[in-house]
Amino acid sequence: MSTKTPSEEDILRPINTFTKKYVALYAVSALALGAFLVAWAYQLQQGLIVTGLGDWGSGGGSTWGLYIGAFIWWVGIAHGGIILSAAVRLLGMDRYLPVARLAEMLTLAGLSAAGFYILVHMGRPDRMVTSVLGHFHITVNNSPLVWDVTVITAYFVMTATYLGLTLRYDVHRLRDQLPDYLEPVYKIMTIGYTEKEDEVIEQMVWWLALAVIIMAPLLLHGGVIPWLFSVLPAMPAWTGAVQGPQFLTIALTSAISGVILIAYAFRRAYDWEHIFTDDIFRGLLLWLGFFCLLFLWLQVQQVVNGSFLGPTNKSVATDAKIGHPVYLFSMGLVSATLAYIFAQAIRPSLFSKPRAIVAGLAVLTGTFLEKLLFVVEGFLHPTFDIYAATPGEYFPSIIEWLSLVGTIGMVVLFFLSLSKMVPVVELHAIEHLNEDHAHEDTTAATEQEVKA
Amino acid sequence: MSADDESFHPLGHEAAYEEAKKNAGGFAEMLKSLGGDGEDSRRGVMKKMGAGAAVGIGAWGTTQGGDEPSVSAAEAGGSETTEQGDTQWGMTIDLERCDGCLSCVKACAQENNLDQGVNWMYVLQYEDGGPDSSRNRLVRPCQHCTDAPCEKVCPTTARHTRDKDGLVLTDYDVCIGCRYCQVACPYGVNYFQWDEPDISTEQIEEAHSDTEGHMMTDERGRWVDSRAPRGVMSKCTMCPSRQDGFSGEEKVGTSACEEMCPPDAIQFGDMKRETSDPQRYIDNPARGRALVEMNSSLPSTSGLEENLSGAGSDLESVLEASEDLDEELLTVMKAAEIVTENFGEDDADSVQYEEAILEVFDVLASHGLDLGSQEVLVELELASEPDEDEEFEGADEEAAQEALVDYSGSPSSNFKLLEDIGTNPNVVYFGNEPGPTAHQTETPVAYSDMEADRADGGSIQLVDNRKDVLDEGTVGDFGVSL
Repeated sequence: MSTKTPSEEDILRPINTFTKKYVALYAVSALALGAFLVAWAYQLQQGLIVTGLGDWGSGGGSTWGLYIGAFIWWVGIAHGGIILSAAVRLLGMDRYLPVARLAEMLTLAGLSAAGFYILVHMGRPDRMVTSVLGHFHITVNNSPLVWDVTVITAYFVMTATYLGLTLRYDVHRLRDQLPDYLEPVYKIMTIGYTEKEDEVIEQMVWWLALAVIIMAPLLLHGGVIPWLFSVLPAMPAWTGAVQGPQFLTIALTSAISGVILIAYAFRRAYDWEHIFTDDIFRGLLLWLGFFCLLFLWLQVQQVVNGSFLGPTNKSVATDAKIGHPVYLFSMGLVSATLAYIFAQAIRPSLFSKPRAIVAGLAVLTGTFLEKLLFVVEGFLHPTFDIYAATPGEYFPSIIEWLSLVGTIGMVVLFFLSLSKMVPVVELHAIEHLNEDHAHEDTTAATEQEVKA
Repeated sequence: MSADDESFHPLGHEAAYEEAKKNAGGFAEMLKSLGGDGEDSRRGVMKKMGAGAAVGIGAWGTTQGGDEPSVSAAEAGGSETTEQGDTQWGMTIDLERCDGCLSCVKACAQENNLDQGVNWMYVLQYEDGGPDSSRNRLVRPCQHCTDAPCEKVCPTTARHTRDKDGLVLTDYDVCIGCRYCQVACPYGVNYFQWDEPDISTEQIEEAHSDTEGHMMTDERGRWVDSRAPRGVMSKCTMCPSRQDGFSGEEKVGTSACEEMCPPDAIQFGDMKRETSDPQRYIDNPARGRALVEMNSSLPSTSGLEENLSGAGSDLESVLEASEDLDEELLTVMKAAEIVTENFGEDDADSVQYEEAILEVFDVLASHGLDLGSQEVLVELELASEPDEDEEFEGADEEAAQEALVDYSGSPSSNFKLLEDIGTNPNVVYFGNEPGPTAHQTETPVAYSDMEADRADGGSIQLVDNRKDVLDEGTVGDFGVSL
């Protein structure tokens, strides 16, 4: 496997092949997205009453639910993706260079899904521009939701710039092997390109990566997204400074899991064993384990502080959390993954790619469920819980579940479509791998051991 | 650091301060000129006002003022309104006088044409671990907080504080239905319009065709009153159409719930005015209660005149002759006058009680009974008999206050809900404050026993838990809960 030399042809294979499996996956994903679009149209026609949501308080419901939970989940995946990619570039972690672009693309896809959720969640999505942008200069001073939209937009622009800049290098060099029908797209992408810019671009990308890393804890999933909840004093299930770091760990675990799944899919589909090597999966898994550990550590902090001794509102909320089967299940998934990663680190023979896939799926399921419950439990156990109808009831309706299926379909479609247009692995990564090959023939033996 | 540096700094600070002041002004001016709502509101006005173009234009003129809360909020970097008006509408609610009849809930539903379960006004009975929970009630309108968290989090300025009178309102033409206000409100007073409301704007307009703004548009031309349209947030408004005088001058300073409360437990008014109903109630709740309670027992002036004809003019004869006036009642009536400055004057609602008392006093005076005399005051125990060498000091306010407390009781405490959260609510409660573990039980009157009439000519049964209504619209109600 690792004896093969990665070539330009390899990374162009997704663009220049067209298989039945591709069509089938495309159709299934389109169907998933289509089904949700129909459901959304129905929701637009009928109103948000088609959801399982309601008014907290005397109304016995939950104001926000799966839409917001899934929104956070997707933003987390997206933010984690760009942090991963930035770390690779900034810290020179060349080992992961082959998956850096996948992580960036995952960021764009995840942000798109999250942005879509904002619209789906609104009572009057038609007013987004007039009401939100029209008052931006006032509301940005106060509203965490406006900070949120601002930062998500900023990150979308940054990531798209980042990806666009690095793609120029590849597209220019591989132009002859790219399909002609996309000529206009490539022309726009490489407009004004000269080889002299490479060095400048490299510096720009480094600075962008630095900005991403610095802003990650301050603004991304360590900042504005948790602040949506953590700054509200009357909802003890949400409030508190731990939410910032907690959300950041969720973003990173989710994103690494996402990258593992996507990288594995590409590896299988296009015989990229020599590009997405076992070594990369093992490394990603270790990082996943590290962030799972942080995730669980912060969960323990919350639960211990909430349940040891009052105040009443906090202990009611914490008791409800630790007794909730969904919470226990999601913590169980992350704990089991951590245990597996720890075990395979000690005993390498326990590693296999299917197991890595299961670990990734387990973490993504765990973080999704944790986020869904997190959003809802704020409404179920507010400080002012005098109402007989509080805690209220909430279970996502079919339309809400369909939104999850639909956005997953949307993200898969995003990758399927993008992979037909541009290389999902950087040319730099191939060049780098080939350099390594020249130097590291002697280490091939160790890689053989690792093979599952 | 050199001497030059030292001398430079203070100057530098001063210059920077001046510069900042200039910029602040410039920024505010810029914001004012940006005033994003103009076009929207104007269209809204035209739509709502229909042919009443003159009215529409008048409202358009004031729309500029309508932007001010947002502007000042931006200037202050917070949601607090810095350029506050002279009025702050608010309430006192005497929970010990509330009998849980739900009249206020019904009145609100009728006034605003609310859907089932949209209980802008909500009344609940609760248990709080004590031995007797029969008086544990909470009446919960929107608290119209001075530092409203719902407004702070709003991504659109739809949720705003009206500058002129501090009402916290939702501009139905601006709200995007993100529901963050409902998320941030500690009290749970918000109700989202999940589907098309039962009563159309046309029906409301028709029912209030003579009313300026049709009970929907306020004097700034913004659609903030009555039930919300689909997809936006609603909550108790404290009746802006009334406060703007659109329902007649006599309705200014009243709310639908207050008006319909049989035991008069709700006092609505200007929290910034010392002589308003709520402030008078806060100053002296025993007096406020006594006025309400004795009002129903006051003798009619004609009946009293009839009773008194031919009777003697001393206290004993008067009390003996009159059927409906006993010593206790007369004592409390006089006590109320003693403790009140400007008794029977001013325009608070409670003044009508005072006027009724004064009318009775007039009858007694013309009969010859001098209620201010030493003899009568001492007899009523509202003054102490002076020693031989002392002069009579007149009525004793403390004794009068005691008489009022004896008559109507004094509330165990007064409080604002969740005051420690820093919302600065404008509703003041009298009675027991629910503790952190208090939980709702059944009200003496069930919500389903109440019917509210609406603008379409029909009526609906009130619903306590709105989820029961909303579940009918859920696509795929799994019947389970997270």
